[in-house]
Amino acid sequence: MEEAGFSTVILTPTPEFHRAIGIPRSVAIEYPFGRPVGQVHDREGQRNVLLKTLKVLEDAQAPGEIWHLPFTWPEEPKKTAWQPPEMSPLIKLYLADIRHARQREAERENAKGPTDGRS
Amino acid sequence: MERGEKRVDGFRFLPPGLRAWIRSFIPQGHFTGPIPWTPLAKPLRQATMGLVTSAGISLKIDPPFDMEREKREPTWGDRSFREIPRHTTGDDIDVNHLHINTTYIQQDINVVLPLARMAEFEQEEIIGRLAPTAYAFYGFQWQSMAFLETAIAPIARKLRLEGVETVLLTPA
Repeated sequence: MEEAGFSTVILTPTPEFHRAIGIPRSVAIEYPFGRPVGQVHDREGQRNVLLKTLKVLEDAQAPGEIWHLPFTWPEEPKKTAWQPPEMSPLIKLYLADIRHARQREAERENAKGPTDGRS
Repeated sequence: MERGEKRVDGFRFLPPGLRAWIRSFIPQGHFTGPIPWTPLAKPLRQATMGLVTSAGISLKIDPPFDMEREKREPTWGDRSFREIPRHTTGDDIDVNHLHINTTYIQQDINVVLPLARMAEFEQEEIIGRLAPTAYAFYGFQWQSMAFLETAIAPIARKLRLEGVETVLLTPA
């Protein structure tokens, strides 16, 4: 869209992904998927997020910048219930891979050993 | 380049299995190729803004995004788009997305497509004008760029016809 002549800004909960693919203006927000602007009926909260996003649109000077917003989602991740009621078809397809990835990461964590200062 | 004091953790809400798996796809570090750039040609308070989301939102009077085909073909994502007039609320829409819980969007469309908030900003002259039409497409596109032709290109053409100069993109 930027190539088509629009000045664009993306409000993204996945900045690591957008950083890797190259986006003109990214505003990163640590909110659950599906609600990047804010909580249901929280007009004030939504406005705050959007005002900061519009500011980035105006202030960004060069492509590829990622501006991190300071807001914290008030719920624990497990309580946000952002996931779909049924596992997505893709996840079902790749369930074995997902389990292996989890295992490999757990093994890497264990290999690092205790991280509480003892050694 | 990162700006701001916080470092947003895009993996925070993912359960450990998904986190580990998705992390394995994402290249480390910043993209180093050329990134397109269109500077704002005028102050935002004079500009016309359009909204585009990938949250699978459609008007009830239009065909919904196709979830049944995705269930049959798990690597296929609907690559069409829908027009969402600026006065649309949760009561007017269907939300179809197999990868997120859609109930919040149904309750308050603004959590992902902030039409009411942007209309307020237009009233308050923070933006010049909110475009008459917003657009929704479907964000699950697995290793396929077809949606650029079937959704993004037509959306761009329509935005241009409505005099849109700047676009806010909100992924689901």
